[in-house]
Amino acid sequence: MHYEAPIRKPLIIGDKSYHDITVDIARPVETKAPRSWWLVFGISLAAFLWGIGCILYTIGVGIGTWGLNKTVGWAWDITNFVWWVGIGHAGTLISAVLLLFRQKWRMSINRSAEAMTIFSVIQAALFPGIHMGRIWLAYFVMPIPNQFGSLWVNFNSPLLWDVFAISTYFTVSVVFWYVGLIPDFAMIRDRAIRPVTKHIYKILSFGWGGKAKHWQRFEEVSLVLAGLATPLVLSVHTIVSMDFATSVIPGWHTTIFPPYFVAGAIFSGFAMVNTLLIIVRKVFRMEDYITIQHIEMMNIIIMLTGSIVGIAYITELFIAWYSGVEYEQYAFLNRATGPYWWAYWSMMTCNVFSPQFMWFKKLRTSLIFSFIISIVVNIGMWFERFVIIVTSLHRDYLPSSWSMFSPSFVDIGIFIGTIGFFFVLFLLYARSFPVIAQAELKTILKSSGENYKKLQEKDGHH
Amino acid sequence: MAETKKYWKGIEELTNSATVQKLAENEFNSEISTEEFLGNKEKLEESQTSRRDFLKYMGFSTAAATLAACEAPVVESIPYVVAPEEVIPGIPNYYATSYFDGHDYASILVKTREGRPIKVENNKLAAMNGGANARIHASILDLYDSTRLQKPLINGEEANWSDVDTGIKKDLNAAVSNGKQVVFLTSTVISPTTKKLIGEWAAQTNGFKHVMYDAFSYSGKLDAHSASSGKRSLPTYNFKNADVIVSFGADFLGDWVGQNVSADYASRRKPGKDMSHHVQFESNMSLTGSNADLRHKIKPSELGNALIQLYNELGGSASGGNTSVSAQVKEAAKKLRAAGSRGLVVSGTNDADVEAITIAINKLLGNGGSTIDYSKRSYLRQGDDAAMKQLVADMNSGNFGALFVDNLNPAYLMAGDSKFAEGMKKVPLTVTFAEKNNETAALSKYVCARHNYLESWGDAMPADGVYSLQQPVIRPLFNTRQTEECLMTWMGKTGSYYDYLTTNTKAPNWKKALHDGVANVSGVAAGVSAVADSTDKAGFFERVFGGSDENNTDNNVSTGAAPAADVNAAASRLSSAKGGAMEIQFYQKTGMGTGNLANNPWLQELPDPISRVSWDNYLTVAAADAVEIGLENTNESNGALNGSVVNLTVNGKTIENVPVLVQPGQAKGTVGLAVGYGRTAAGKVGNEVGVNAFALFNGSHHSTDVKIEKGIGTHGFACIQLAHTMMGRKIVNEVNLDTFLNKPAYGEGGWNEVTEFETFKGPLTSEETNLWDDFDHQTGHMWNMSIDLNLCNGCGACVIACHAENNVPVVGKEEVRKHRDMHWLRIDRYYSSDMNEEVAEEQGIGAIDMYAAMEKPSSSPEVAFQPVMCQHCNHAPCETVCPVAATSHSSEGLNHMAYNRCIGTRYCANNCPYKVRRFNWFQYEGNSKFDKNLAMNDDLGRMVLNPDVTVRARGVMEKCSMCIQRIQLGKLTAKKEGRPLKDGEVQTACQSACDTEAIVFGDVNNKDSQVFKLKQDKRMYHLLEEVGTQPSVFYQTKVRNRA
Repeated sequence: MHYEAPIRKPLIIGDKSYHDITVDIARPVETKAPRSWWLVFGISLAAFLWGIGCILYTIGVGIGTWGLNKTVGWAWDITNFVWWVGIGHAGTLISAVLLLFRQKWRMSINRSAEAMTIFSVIQAALFPGIHMGRIWLAYFVMPIPNQFGSLWVNFNSPLLWDVFAISTYFTVSVVFWYVGLIPDFAMIRDRAIRPVTKHIYKILSFGWGGKAKHWQRFEEVSLVLAGLATPLVLSVHTIVSMDFATSVIPGWHTTIFPPYFVAGAIFSGFAMVNTLLIIVRKVFRMEDYITIQHIEMMNIIIMLTGSIVGIAYITELFIAWYSGVEYEQYAFLNRATGPYWWAYWSMMTCNVFSPQFMWFKKLRTSLIFSFIISIVVNIGMWFERFVIIVTSLHRDYLPSSWSMFSPSFVDIGIFIGTIGFFFVLFLLYARSFPVIAQAELKTILKSSGENYKKLQEKDGHH
Repeated sequence: MAETKKYWKGIEELTNSATVQKLAENEFNSEISTEEFLGNKEKLEESQTSRRDFLKYMGFSTAAATLAACEAPVVESIPYVVAPEEVIPGIPNYYATSYFDGHDYASILVKTREGRPIKVENNKLAAMNGGANARIHASILDLYDSTRLQKPLINGEEANWSDVDTGIKKDLNAAVSNGKQVVFLTSTVISPTTKKLIGEWAAQTNGFKHVMYDAFSYSGKLDAHSASSGKRSLPTYNFKNADVIVSFGADFLGDWVGQNVSADYASRRKPGKDMSHHVQFESNMSLTGSNADLRHKIKPSELGNALIQLYNELGGSASGGNTSVSAQVKEAAKKLRAAGSRGLVVSGTNDADVEAITIAINKLLGNGGSTIDYSKRSYLRQGDDAAMKQLVADMNSGNFGALFVDNLNPAYLMAGDSKFAEGMKKVPLTVTFAEKNNETAALSKYVCARHNYLESWGDAMPADGVYSLQQPVIRPLFNTRQTEECLMTWMGKTGSYYDYLTTNTKAPNWKKALHDGVANVSGVAAGVSAVADSTDKAGFFERVFGGSDENNTDNNVSTGAAPAADVNAAASRLSSAKGGAMEIQFYQKTGMGTGNLANNPWLQELPDPISRVSWDNYLTVAAADAVEIGLENTNESNGALNGSVVNLTVNGKTIENVPVLVQPGQAKGTVGLAVGYGRTAAGKVGNEVGVNAFALFNGSHHSTDVKIEKGIGTHGFACIQLAHTMMGRKIVNEVNLDTFLNKPAYGEGGWNEVTEFETFKGPLTSEETNLWDDFDHQTGHMWNMSIDLNLCNGCGACVIACHAENNVPVVGKEEVRKHRDMHWLRIDRYYSSDMNEEVAEEQGIGAIDMYAAMEKPSSSPEVAFQPVMCQHCNHAPCETVCPVAATSHSSEGLNHMAYNRCIGTRYCANNCPYKVRRFNWFQYEGNSKFDKNLAMNDDLGRMVLNPDVTVRARGVMEKCSMCIQRIQLGKLTAKKEGRPLKDGEVQTACQSACDTEAIVFGDVNNKDSQVFKLKQDKRMYHLLEEVGTQPSVFYQTKVRNRA
């Protein structure tokens, strides 16, 4: 039995038994969806379909339907890509890194965080595909044997590294998530009444029997996968950042990009987790499991990573000045004072200034405030990628080729479409998957549950 | 005795068992059950087609029907029945010919592939105008314009030639017998043979008159020369000999009197002690002004006075001469005095008085025979404005029988004078010879569909002693006839015009002349007018080809010409002329000229060298005036340029909604407007592009009667350059001649200092601080290109040549507006700014304000042109980032692009510091949305495509390949002949189009090559050297001769 110091706040509130946890977590799966779910789902689906329409239009007509030009060859496409990948960082970080660090508070949030990871990586993975001029030849990026002699992919290209990094990350995340889901699926299977439902969950739960051997294997696999996933958390965004860092464009060619991007990714990912969980705990009445303390922990991480990102921004400015390179100096001056100054200052406000409010306990334990900040942070992080990509490209070396970028309705449509797609997936997940890793959570009920903590205190147990 | 051997199939047959015998009886050893199946009706009714059979039959028949429904694409390709000997598939043939459209003249070579003309090249043998300008390079596309007239028209209806001939002959006879006037209105005619034919026609037709009219007329200039030398023709100018050039509004590098002087001019722009000094006085920022060492802004009305002042400074005495630029004129006079007969003064107006003073100034300089050749007359401008005016009056008078119009579009040119169109309606017989159903053709009773110049025979005598031939390079595509053939038919002459041409030239060396395109006729000074003169029956043509040498003393005569009284009279008229508060100077844009080729999309999309705007003309306004009137240029959020519009009233005629472009270097109180736009019947490409400045024209190139009123709304421009200054960066390396001659190039503070980086090993250049493994560039070829920024004048011929050679698509105004032009080669134009780091430091201006101020061009900027194509970096940023290795390096120093492999991530374009990569945003080929891309959207247009270069598909990145197809051809030719490749054997399209030789391409591993020598030149620098890309293209520092 895990022992937890009485000074620590309980992670499960209320007078909960194991059965209560089961019932609470199985409730969304077993009950009918409320009207509000259908409403949100409908809106998301509409956005998703609109996005599909825009994507098909792009593929049918050409990349020219976007707002790009000869100078700015990437804009919203890669901005969205990096944004979604960044968001996808929190899940694995929470479930893998915090597992390794034995952070028990992760248990109430890791399931949804991982789901969010997978769904946002799906959104991210769309963009490298559809941004290609000839998507029907996308398989060229795979190092597959072919009839063209020794024609290989270019292993020097960070874009190729992206392909590997994202696909590995996605695969490992899905497997990790699924392994964690097995005992919970089994729980739903055991409770299911309708034969079809039962059958589906039977297949999904992989013959889980809850035997000691099963639990032992489960723990082992989780640990191994966590070990595998941890470096991936760092590698994915490192490699994404290399798309820019290995280039020669002032504003892209920056050696601090890997840690800066990883910090930014965790920052935005945690913000997105907050956004989703604040809604989920309310709607599914899971306030007892996803407590204010959880939100507070998340907020502290947001504050920390936000500050790291802020330092990175300032370092960039300093290095630009210190380097003495004219182009570099101009690139950063242009970011802050050029035609896209509003994007730069939006980024600064949202990412650097707004998380500083989290120093105040009152604010970081306020749900509404946390929710607002979580949205603001993700707006800021979107702008960060926009600033890096567009403001660096639009004025690079030769002024003769300077240009501007303005999104077309297709650019906007695809972005909205991915948000729609993300929520479609998340909403379906919320009503068919156990949104909290209840099997894991039950392991800490007796050490971190409020009632048991109280009992311990009363009994003077240690 | 032959033995009948018996072969058996197997042991069974040998043993000949019963079974085998039975089998042998049947050829097919299994029963076919047809009879059983179909013969027995009862059984058939009983039997059931099984479900499986049914599915099989259905499957088969569906598949068969589907296959039968698919029609295989039909590729129409008709082989030669008897192949011409000289046409070898895959090998181009070159034919020499001449281009003259009444405005531009050049002696050219036409490249044909499998019988199709596909490209225009300069004729290096030409003694005059061997360098074709951008328009002539683009003219090849007009041959394949599907909107060309394919048949003659009678009253707008398609007709056949016999009806046209009968009709015209009848009407013409009626006109002649009624004693009415018959006028043949043409542009300048420089063909001696055509003139002879016209002369013969005149001789047999009573009341015949031949009137020549130039679209952008220099009639006044001609009159002045007529008064001074007795000959109504211009002298030729020899810029090769000019140490000091002072130009008063003459845009001699752009459009002037037809003589192409850019090569001669460039020959003296190579930096060194004998570099010429060029001063330009002008109101609009012209191509010439932007190349000048000193450029002074002046109002058009003041040009006369400036010339008077110069005349007086040089020793003349004429009244007047007060201008705002007297100090600058004095300075120029000092330089001219020092240069003496090696000075040259040119002027650009259509004003006889201005030209009279210019002649007098040149007389004072004594430059006859040195920089001006009065003995070698130029015939490229012969138009007579007075005759045209008379013609319009005559047409309206009613005593007019017939009007024939050839090579001219007077209805468009006279759009401001409704009398012309009205007059034309009153003429009983109106005939237009035209390739298009243009504005004039639309008013004519008969339209004789004309050959394209590439389908015609002809000759040209642009100047004394210069003779070139025109030969067809393709059979006429349509049922058309060349003008001369029509005339011969109506005159009752037998034979073809070819016969007439050869008979009259009586050339003993005809084949050589035809091969070369030009004939040496030096010493023949009779000129074109002499041919037309019926007294010259002695046989001009014998002399042309006989090369008899006559001593001409015109230069001596001319130095004594132009009596002083004329100068005084001209001066007093000029000095009393009043200027306007606002004046307009009409000009021609490099791409459009006078609008003859308005339906040519390559030209429409060619960005103007100065404004970088394509698909438009506009009112150029000085920044100060723009503020006063409240006009502005703004950019949309995607960078597209917008401008205010104005209602422009000139000479009492108004055009509404003329777009405005604020032009740095525009003289305050003046505006400029280009002619050649606003066509209404040019074709789908040229119609409704811009406004027709000819509608405001009254013959003079400028007007002082200008009213500008701000209009409502804005106009969208297709401008490909958003920033106009170098932002203090070393992009075009510039140095003054003094410094160039006397100061070290390299080392600390040198004028061509190489950037060094502080490293732990001490200061190193970018090449030495290299992270990468180098390619082996010592073995085999190593292609390099040198671009001399002193020789490049920005004319844009290379851009068009690149378009034609490499099948570069035209994307149209809306796409160019979004900065999606596809040019592989662009000519960047930079203005100087009043702000730089020194000024900022002096005035204590911070970096933010400094950069903001740097973005603004000076109101009197220095201009620099820089052609930029793929730099073929040896450490190419594009190559490392392509995920599929679609762009990779060659062992010969080139950066290759494998279109088949490209998946279109655009990463390469993003990572290109030079931004030379172009992405196919849409399908430009065979796409009705891009129907202005004439070369790729119908079968006729596609004939112009270069079969050696792939037409790129949508989603593919493309860029300059250094004309890899030409390199390959050169290498193969050399290999077949078993010899090394010679220097200069392979020329890129841009290089061969450049008549100033600014672009030199070659192998730097060949130590004798020109490009190797240029690479050692101390002016050599690489663009953005400090990025470490190690480009194969290098530039030669621009040197300005300010002192």
